[in-house]
Amino acid sequence: MNTLTIIVFLPAIGALLCLIAPKPLIRSIAVLTSLVTFLFSLTLFGMYFGSEAGSTSAEVFGSTYGALHHVIRLPWITSESINIEFFLGIDGLGFPLLILTTLVSFLSCLASWNMERWKIGKGIRAYFILFLLLETGMLGVFVALDFFLFYIFWEVMLLPMYFLIGVWGGERREYAAIKFFLFTLAGSVLMLIALVAMYFYSGDAITQAGGEVASAYQSDVTLTHGTFDLIELATNKTIQSYFASEGTTFLSLKFAPLMFVFLFIGFAIKLPIVPFHTWLPDAHVQAPTPISMILAGVLLKMGGYGFLRLCYPIFPTGAEFWAFTLAVIGVVSIIYGALCAMAQSDFKKLVAYSSISHMGFVLLGIAVMTKAGFQGAMFQMIAHGISSPMCFFLVGVIYDRAHHREINRFGGLWLTMPKYGTMATIGFFAALGLPGMCGFIGEIWVLLGTFDAGSKYPWAYTLAIISAASVILTAGYILWLIRRVYLGKEKEEYAGYSDVSSREVFILAPLALLALVLGIFPMQTVFNFTNGTLDLVLAHVTSAISMVP
Amino acid sequence: MTMWLAQSNAWAGIDVTRHLFLFSPMLTLVCTMLAVVACPIIVGRSAKTIGAVVVMGIIASFILAVRVAGEVAGGGISGLSTQPASGMLLVDNLSIAFQLILLIFMGGVTYLWWMGSSDSEENAPEFFILLLGSAVGMGLMVSTSNLLMIALAIETASLPSYAMVGFDKRDRRGAEASLKYLIFGAISAAIMLYGISLLYGLSGSLSVAIVAQHCIQSLASGHNLVITLVALMCLLSGIAFKISAFPFHFWCPDAFEGAKIEVTAWLSVASKSAALILLARLAMVFCAGVSAPEAIGMLSPLAWGIGIMAAITCTLGNFAAYKQTSAKRLLAYSSIAHAGYMLMAIAVFVHPHSDHGQEGMSALLTYIAIYMFMNLGAFGVVAMVVWDTGSDNLASFTGLLRRAPLLAVPMIICLMSLVGLPPFAGFIGKWWILVALGRLNDSLGWFLVITAVVNTLISLYYYMRIVVQMSLRDDGQPALSFPLGGMALVNICAIALFAMFGFAQPLKTTSEQFTRNIFDTTMAKTVVVDAAPAQPIESVQR
Repeated sequence: MNTLTIIVFLPAIGALLCLIAPKPLIRSIAVLTSLVTFLFSLTLFGMYFGSEAGSTSAEVFGSTYGALHHVIRLPWITSESINIEFFLGIDGLGFPLLILTTLVSFLSCLASWNMERWKIGKGIRAYFILFLLLETGMLGVFVALDFFLFYIFWEVMLLPMYFLIGVWGGERREYAAIKFFLFTLAGSVLMLIALVAMYFYSGDAITQAGGEVASAYQSDVTLTHGTFDLIELATNKTIQSYFASEGTTFLSLKFAPLMFVFLFIGFAIKLPIVPFHTWLPDAHVQAPTPISMILAGVLLKMGGYGFLRLCYPIFPTGAEFWAFTLAVIGVVSIIYGALCAMAQSDFKKLVAYSSISHMGFVLLGIAVMTKAGFQGAMFQMIAHGISSPMCFFLVGVIYDRAHHREINRFGGLWLTMPKYGTMATIGFFAALGLPGMCGFIGEIWVLLGTFDAGSKYPWAYTLAIISAASVILTAGYILWLIRRVYLGKEKEEYAGYSDVSSREVFILAPLALLALVLGIFPMQTVFNFTNGTLDLVLAHVTSAISMVP
Repeated sequence: MTMWLAQSNAWAGIDVTRHLFLFSPMLTLVCTMLAVVACPIIVGRSAKTIGAVVVMGIIASFILAVRVAGEVAGGGISGLSTQPASGMLLVDNLSIAFQLILLIFMGGVTYLWWMGSSDSEENAPEFFILLLGSAVGMGLMVSTSNLLMIALAIETASLPSYAMVGFDKRDRRGAEASLKYLIFGAISAAIMLYGISLLYGLSGSLSVAIVAQHCIQSLASGHNLVITLVALMCLLSGIAFKISAFPFHFWCPDAFEGAKIEVTAWLSVASKSAALILLARLAMVFCAGVSAPEAIGMLSPLAWGIGIMAAITCTLGNFAAYKQTSAKRLLAYSSIAHAGYMLMAIAVFVHPHSDHGQEGMSALLTYIAIYMFMNLGAFGVVAMVVWDTGSDNLASFTGLLRRAPLLAVPMIICLMSLVGLPPFAGFIGKWWILVALGRLNDSLGWFLVITAVVNTLISLYYYMRIVVQMSLRDDGQPALSFPLGGMALVNICAIALFAMFGFAQPLKTTSEQFTRNIFDTTMAKTVVVDAAPAQPIESVQR
């Protein structure tokens, strides 16, 4: 059996078990399933440490983009002219996000253990079934390498997420859920156009080249018509030069920039990027705590992953065309998200807006197309995937006790709940980007990457300076938050509150530990596993750009 | 009788037994009608007896249709004529495929009727004569390329439908709906007949293949151009009425709302898809004959015309569904929108650059098969809610997920499939249409691709209104009581939608097989297997 197939479908099998299991067992089955999935996904480290070549992704994944591990390719829908495959594989792009997904899913499944709803015994079965189906969808996105399959997994997440927000959410859950659904589907609709268009245009490219083109990375494979293979689309010279050619038009607009925009908007909505971000504060605030953890920890990363897997490798010229616009949007997101966060009085909303600000760094790092930029963007995704679920869970902990999230009504919680206060400080400092914590590495790498880009894009210096300065805003809203919530005199209102329970510590501790470890050993924990592939993607992108006159 | 037919002069050279066999599925339905008429005289008017007779008739017809499908797998047969091009009826893969779908669907509708009405219905024989009559009409619509037969078939399908919509005499809304439907139908039938008479006058023939050649000539030469175009438009409007395509869609919501739920379900799938396949066949016959370069130029505006009609139809249907509070009316507009998606597939093979007409055709057939399950499931749930609460207002769906989870979950699946969300079959249906459009690779194709996917987004909101009502809201209404059989039916539909997604490949292969030989049989050279044509009309290749 293929490891990736097992990892992707384990949660779905767990969902089936939940469907038939007696009620008292459901929670245990769900938690156990997500734990087993997590442990199983750890076996993927084997490809780094079991390999003779070495233990960094540069050594494991060879010298060209497209080297994969744990590949499975089965024909799914094939006819004379269509070839849709069940094609999974993993490289340095998908790997860290896959591990992150299984980890965050496990922790948030555990966080779902004691939801208040369960006391009346309602909906527990449906909740965990949807939760596990959601996990299957998320895992699938990070390993699917057939565009059609990728799209299916992408869409499969929508419905479970809709219900998880809509049924188990806060007061305005109905509005938040449908908004999330409509925004994401709007993005997928554009992706679907690109899906059809890219298939037929790649077919045209092959027809123009005589009807038979050797595959770029598979031996003994000849392409005779269009393809959905994401690696092939990115690396095949025939297809690439046809896509990039000035004469290739779609509805009389240039093909590459247009398709880049279609895909970009689809992913930007997920990331999310100003001005497509408005679903995020609603969804994150209304969702129950574990689902907010998933949303912030995993779903947002799909946007960034989509850029790195689809937009940039397949449409490098489009990336070049839009570089300035994207970088500016990234900086605007950083500043706008930070300013919005500063203005919030709702604890959870503040964390939600801080996500927008952090994701702005991801876009900026990718947009400038330098080594440090790409690496920083990936690191920022991982770092945010650790710090933001932690922050959301910290909010959840206090909300469970106080039943409100007004920042100004809190105060002195560190004294009331010392363990909680310590954890909270770690979590929020990680989000702040304190040196020695994970948030710092991502931001500084992106900033360095932006400065680097100054040699090819003169505007990059300005943007780098602006975004570096904006870090002060982040520090502003987080320190102010900590002062208002955790410091100060102990308040009577919260006097009798119990400190974090051992289950809560069990969820917070790994995240806190990772936030520190990633900050102190960035090479050993992340960069070694990702940089090789990221550099290959970048090399591919830059060489493709330089080839265009 | 066979002997007599064989001996008479007009039938010389025809193997009548064989031809009767080819049309036996529809003939069986006619016999079932007779049996339903005879039943009250012999065993009484019990609704259950009548239902049983009808079910047996449907099963017999289905078995025969499967056998005929095997017979015509190698190529279509033009029937009851020694002249290849003037066959009144023809049987080919396409017509049999549709008849199979129709019979399955009729089984589902009869089953719904059985659960909902068989206890209270006093006029079961009359109802089933109407239902079977319209089914025969629809079966004939897809198996002819003769203008006279087209007019007859459409009327055979329509007249019982008018009566069925107003079947419940005590229901004023039904009567009103029926009258609206009748007036609209009568006018469009008149227009269509006028168009047919013009075409006959122009070409001196009723066979579409010959008419098409005359039309193409006049289109190419400019001789009689206006009158030809007017005639074609008239013919098209008659069919567009059945499809409920813009601007002939006004009857649809009213008729659907006023009719009993079984009838609504029946009309939403059967009558629309029969008309779509008829239009597809006409379009293929026309385009197959086009060879002159001037005439090929005429196809592009035609394709754009159908494409724009499709785009407007589905956009309008989706937007109009937004404000509806009646589930039936909402699904009526949704069916208008889906007719629009299916029309897009027809625009594919009217297109001059299209060498892949078959792709559009098989996409259409796949869509119809999937659409049948989606609508049967959705209408099944609406039916059970109506039976219990007496209203199809969205308010009666409130809290359905708690009140009847085994209905609400399949309903959600059917609705999401109607949106076109994976992993449900509705997505696969849309996907093949998108692929067929994308293959055109020109502005019409991409325009329609964009329209279709944007409409997916538009439609999400109003389908979600039902979902929201069922799952997120609850006003403490008591649990819904529903027949177990009905629950089974809608769950089977939901499972079928999953299965048709996973097994998209065999589904596509099957529909490709069923559309394989149409291009040969609908063209002038239609083969009569057992009577060699005296003077074969040359097939014209584009």
